Amino acid sequence: MIQHIDVHAVLQESVPGGGVYGDLVTRPTGRVVREQIERAIATAAVARVDFTGVGCIDYSCADEIVAKLLRERPAVLVLSGISDAHREAIEPVLAGHGLAALIEGPGGALETLGAPEAAAVLLEELVARRLAARTPGGTFALTLA
Amino acid sequence: MTRLVDVPAQFDDRSFDQFAGAFAEAAKDGGRLLFDAHAAEWASPYGLVGLLVAGQAGRGGGGGGGAGGGDRPVINFFPHGRVPKLKAQDESDVLLPVTPVRAAEDVHAVVSKIQQRASAILASELGLDPKATMGFAMALSEACQNIVEHAGTGGWVAVQRYHWRQKLGRRVVVIAVADAGVGFRHSLEPTQSKRFGARWGDAAALEAALIQGVSRFRDPGRGQGLAGIRRYLARWDGKIAIRSGTARIAIVPKWDDDVPLKDGLPPFPGAQVLIIIPEPESTRK
Repeated sequence: MIQHIDVHAVLQESVPGGGVYGDLVTRPTGRVVREQIERAIATAAVARVDFTGVGCIDYSCADEIVAKLLRERPAVLVLSGISDAHREAIEPVLAGHGLAALIEGPGGALETLGAPEAAAVLLEELVARRLAARTPGGTFALTLA
Repeated sequence: MTRLVDVPAQFDDRSFDQFAGAFAEAAKDGGRLLFDAHAAEWASPYGLVGLLVAGQAGRGGGGGGGAGGGDRPVINFFPHGRVPKLKAQDESDVLLPVTPVRAAEDVHAVVSKIQQRASAILASELGLDPKATMGFAMALSEACQNIVEHAGTGGWVAVQRYHWRQKLGRRVVVIAVADAGVGFRHSLEPTQSKRFGARWGDAAALEAALIQGVSRFRDPGRGQGLAGIRRYLARWDGKIAIRSGTARIAIVPKWDDDVPLKDGLPPFPGAQVLIIIPEPESTRK
């Protein structure tokens, strides 16, 4: 089973002013949100971290949330609800760390973001663990619901 | 004794060192300071936030940097009742008025406010790619966070759109962020001064932060902010200049004639960041 994390809801609940602001900006905000996510996915094998409804993500939050979660790897992370603006922040941060993340598109297709070598290893690992498989359309998708 | 500090007639980044020199000279004695703006015709966002920094440092609220400090009971601004207009001779729009930044909540408020106005203006009026408007809020957030994370005191931010008819013949958006905090040299000294040896100083600290992307934190993820701003500006032909202490560093695009690194400037507290994003040449109207 996949643990679903609604990042916008986490932001609203855990940050002072989060109910007013919908942006993932500043290190302190990123730290609080990441710690909440870590607690929520502590026992999950796969977590879908959904950024739908989140406005701007800055580089600090991309590092504090996405890069640190990937480095610590509490679970296989799949990012969803990722807009072009979110990519602008997340991609260079991951590339700088030599990390890659999985992005799940609206139709369920998986793509990778970040360092190409790390991305290839990540996909191979998911397929080997049978957490993802190639679809008839030639893309990859999660095997779990 | 009250010492007078003249505010330049055209108060922007170009005339800032003249103001900093007057401030450093007047602040030496530790007396009262009077900022005389009777001859000031207008101030850019950079000039205005710089003036506030001078006032904060003069009150003893600064974190060092060579000038200011002390315990002066009174700072007077604009004794003739005139506040310089936040407007150049060319047309301009205030995207974000001079806004204090003290904590992470202030950065949230700034980003939230700017996104409402900036996306419309950057995309429709400046003709920037929608992707440029996305990065704009990120760049602004990171610039403001430098205050929260490193300055050790509060600061200010202002954003304005101009039509630089004479200088560039294009429209630009200007972000100015300033604080009277500890400055880059002091912030990076514990981790970087040995590496630079005898070269260590304000200029070396700015070079370490902006060019090499180092941070005072040992966390490998730190230093993303200025690096991210640089990437954003490289993509959209923008400019960044940072003044701290006695030095100033700039990433200079082709359309500008600024100097990449200046040292030995009049000392001024904290750090002052200037970011300029121009209208692309292809969309010039």
